[in-house]
Amino acid sequence: MTTRLSPTALILALACASPAFPKDGGKWVVGMSQCNLGEPWRVQMNADIRREAAAHPELELIFKDAQNDTLRQRAQIEEFVNSGVDLLIVSPKEAAPLTPPVAEAYRRGVPVIVLDRRVLGSDYTEFIGANNRMIGKAAGAWAVGRLAELPAVRKGARARVVELEGLMTSIPAQDRGAGFHEALKGAPVDIVYTADMKWLEPQARMEMESALSVQPQIDLVFAHNDPGAHGAYLAAQAAGRERDIIFVGIDALAQEGQVYVRQGVLAATFEYPTGGREAVEDALKILRRESVPKEVTLRSRVFTPDNVASGGEWLK
Amino acid sequence: MRTLRRWIERPEGRALFALLFILVIGCVFNAHDAFFRWGTHRDMLRQVSVYGILACGMTLVIVTGGIDLSVGSVLGLCAVVFAQLSLRRGLPAPVAVPAVLAVGAAAGLASGAAVARYRIQPFIATLAMMVFARGLAKWLSGGEKVSRAVQQPDGSFSYVDLPGAFERLDAKVWGGNVAVVTLVFLGCVALSWVVLTRLRYGRYLYATGGNEEAARLSGVPVRRAKLLAYGMSGVFGAVAGICQAAQEQQGDPEAGVSYELTAIAIAVIGGNSLAGGRGGIGLTLLGAMTIGYLEKILSINAVAESSRLMLTGAIILAAVLLQRRRIE
Repeated sequence: MTTRLSPTALILALACASPAFPKDGGKWVVGMSQCNLGEPWRVQMNADIRREAAAHPELELIFKDAQNDTLRQRAQIEEFVNSGVDLLIVSPKEAAPLTPPVAEAYRRGVPVIVLDRRVLGSDYTEFIGANNRMIGKAAGAWAVGRLAELPAVRKGARARVVELEGLMTSIPAQDRGAGFHEALKGAPVDIVYTADMKWLEPQARMEMESALSVQPQIDLVFAHNDPGAHGAYLAAQAAGRERDIIFVGIDALAQEGQVYVRQGVLAATFEYPTGGREAVEDALKILRRESVPKEVTLRSRVFTPDNVASGGEWLK
Repeated sequence: MRTLRRWIERPEGRALFALLFILVIGCVFNAHDAFFRWGTHRDMLRQVSVYGILACGMTLVIVTGGIDLSVGSVLGLCAVVFAQLSLRRGLPAPVAVPAVLAVGAAAGLASGAAVARYRIQPFIATLAMMVFARGLAKWLSGGEKVSRAVQQPDGSFSYVDLPGAFERLDAKVWGGNVAVVTLVFLGCVALSWVVLTRLRYGRYLYATGGNEEAARLSGVPVRRAKLLAYGMSGVFGAVAGICQAAQEQQGDPEAGVSYELTAIAIAVIGGNSLAGGRGGIGLTLLGAMTIGYLEKILSINAVAESSRLMLTGAIILAAVLLQRRRIE
């Protein structure tokens, strides 16, 4: 099987191997396989890619949306390879089932940039992603610092925190939670209420209402995404307790988390960068036969009311 | 004792029994007396309202022997349209609300026409509308939430004020003791009750669900009855979408995913038969309270998600079994 296919694969690899300048028509064709456009963050990722690519007329982008279906994404990656794209950007839904099509594309000579979530092994050109655990830890450290300033905590009381988790079967939620807990270790902070709000704002609002009815005192709410923090804020506002609580979220999209910070809803939001701009920059490098690192960890910013106007502050 | 038995023999009595069962659980697991505070009940009534509004439409359709899978998507579509009209275009509520209700009615009537005129099975027809309406919501919104933040051509953001309609819908009345959306829900219940029990068309709905052929032969306008049921389900989907948008302060094209299943669960737990021809809106109201309290009790006790799902599944089954055993 392998021996029978390998000459074909070789020819295809030669055919696909792009020269240092665009082929006929003067354009490089880049396929972008997005696992799901149901989340604003992923819509933003595509928008970032589109905006960056608009400055480069030698690039032609084709977007496909797998609608959160692993097998559909696999088929779309195969379609891209068969249609002879010059480069693939893949933001995979899951690692294991999408490793074979990505590796197959890579072996057939199509450079692959893996964005945000990983695949297994090393059969890809470059991985670009942020580190959820580090971002969760930064949020935890920020929360500990901010809570230490509370008068009651200064007098020796322990701070009371509500954690609204993302879908806990998803890796980002697990990592954000683990990083947050790591930062809280040893600090005078208790997590008094935890609920899985599945990334959804209405769910977060409902869970926060329960937390408010059970807990007479809440100092801080940490939500694994900004919509969750916003839902919690609306619940606290309805109960007249929003002024007593500090709200912290993650993602910091320009039209979402950053807006909430400007409006005074969130005290802080931690950016989870999409990597769309970096992916296009590195795609151009790869197509021009320049070298790129195998692994890029995106830096993240924190936005607070003090720095949101000046574009946030980079995390260390 | 005999009055008790008579009560238990009626479907309303059995639905009430299931609700009382859940309430007893709530009294036992009261989360440090949180269950005994009115605020908990007020919040529960607010949370269940959007589902309940959808369940009103679902009940009308179920009575005709059909099912409407599109209600969650119609909710999402109408939330987006409402946010675009009132939040972005600044149209006043008296213009925006009827426009959105018309969108919901159009979606419902389209499903209804497919079922009544072209004899497509309700499951298929409304499945098609479920997929189509979700797509339309995403297309209209560009896949993004229609929120108060509006992007300018230079990439910066400006914010629009929250329209008065949003604030009024998400407010509480009577000394902060009842949420406005709960009143909207009760209004929908009342409207459904009038349709089902006080109008001739209500009788037609039951007749259609009971035995369609017999109904048609005895002169019941079966097609128009079905159109009415699906059309009203669409209108209720629009009402729910408006309430959802007001509570989220935005129109989310993803809003309402899988809400149709909760709406069906509410109708069924109340004791409405999916076979059609029987049931009533009172049962749906009791079913909504049962589901609402179940969720609320699990939530105030901070039960882990995995246990919540298992318990909810088990209790839904138990409640339905309980009702059937009483019939035998």
